[in-house]
Amino acid sequence: MPEVVKELVVVNPLGIHARPAAALVQCVLKFECDVYISFNGSRINAKSIMGLLTLAATRGSRLKFTCTGRDAEAAMKAVEDLLAAGFGET
Amino acid sequence: MDTQNLPVNRKKSIAVARLLDRMTQELDIEVLAGFQGIGRPVYAADVNRPGLALSGYLEYFANDRIQILGNTEIHFMERLNPAQLIRRLTSMFSFEIPAFVLSRNLAPQNAFLDMCNRSGVPVLRSSMSTDEVITRIILFLNEEFSPETVVHGTAVDCFGVGCLIIGSPGIGKSETALELVERGHRLVADDVVALKCIRGERLYAESNPIVEHFMEIRGVGIIDLKAIYGVGRVRNTKRIGLIVELEEWRPEANYDRTGLAEEFVDILGVKIPYLRIPVRPGRNIAIIIEVAALTHRLKELGINPAQRLNERIISLTREQRS
Repeated sequence: MPEVVKELVVVNPLGIHARPAAALVQCVLKFECDVYISFNGSRINAKSIMGLLTLAATRGSRLKFTCTGRDAEAAMKAVEDLLAAGFGET
Repeated sequence: MDTQNLPVNRKKSIAVARLLDRMTQELDIEVLAGFQGIGRPVYAADVNRPGLALSGYLEYFANDRIQILGNTEIHFMERLNPAQLIRRLTSMFSFEIPAFVLSRNLAPQNAFLDMCNRSGVPVLRSSMSTDEVITRIILFLNEEFSPETVVHGTAVDCFGVGCLIIGSPGIGKSETALELVERGHRLVADDVVALKCIRGERLYAESNPIVEHFMEIRGVGIIDLKAIYGVGRVRNTKRIGLIVELEEWRPEANYDRTGLAEEFVDILGVKIPYLRIPVRPGRNIAIIIEVAALTHRLKELGINPAQRLNERIISLTREQRS
């Protein structure tokens, strides 16, 4: 099964609060593959809002994304774009 | 779910500050000296009574442990002449020591406290008896050093049985938990369940301190279960007795029809009974989990319904044959 691993940086000023978490979940739910985030010693499923919130990731946090599954490549691309755009926040 | 390859966190050390943070009330602790050293790490889940070290024998000195000073040690130090005491303490302090803990509100000599202040080794004092202090500190350290992991799932206390509900996103874990809470059971954690193995034999689920008993229900958004149903319907930790995996109904799959053969999964080295429950419209999962929890309790009491029925059938057929 294809696996893509990438470290991505949170760029929006408030970090991953409820709205960005919801946006990220919406984004990865479109894909079939599993998406996990490792940060600060914990590993959570990116398809869970509550999981994302427990990361308490601030601006500048480096999150390690691991996508595993048929559409891993595409999922990683989508996640990368979303984070680079700061979840549409300024 | 892949329970074999969960990332396991095991603390290598904990700071003395953590002990103060968690145990100050329980042990009735005050800090007498060396406050600047409360960041010092403790590496072992054990304590040491440094009687031999004080008497000058420093081979095999378990310096990386919390040092307990009871009546014996304190009175021994009092009997030494000042120059001797300083010499012994100096050689002891050439080792890295995380902290000293005094019991029984004992008063150590000033020379000892001065040295701890200078070297930044915290001195804590408890009002409890030495054996009580030792037992509680070891229990606390054991728990702190236990292996931990985090799973994506939901933990509910159902009739006193801790049920860990797992399954792919969107299968309805949170909704099932909500219905269980509505029916009077208690939520431990939703979505992010921290699991901890205590003494290698018990698995505990814990809620996450950040999200606690907030839940996400698709279509409604984030809800606060404690505010809606009250504190009686939530708890922060519960021993897990049963793992329930929800999955979409697959006609070709073989679901357990009798319950004669029990399945187990291994999480952090603990074997837990495991059930796979197919989800389909019209199947009330909450009630199925209630029944599974009650059946689990029956089995723990030595009553296995599948076995009982089977024994009845077998004895009936035997009667007919004879």
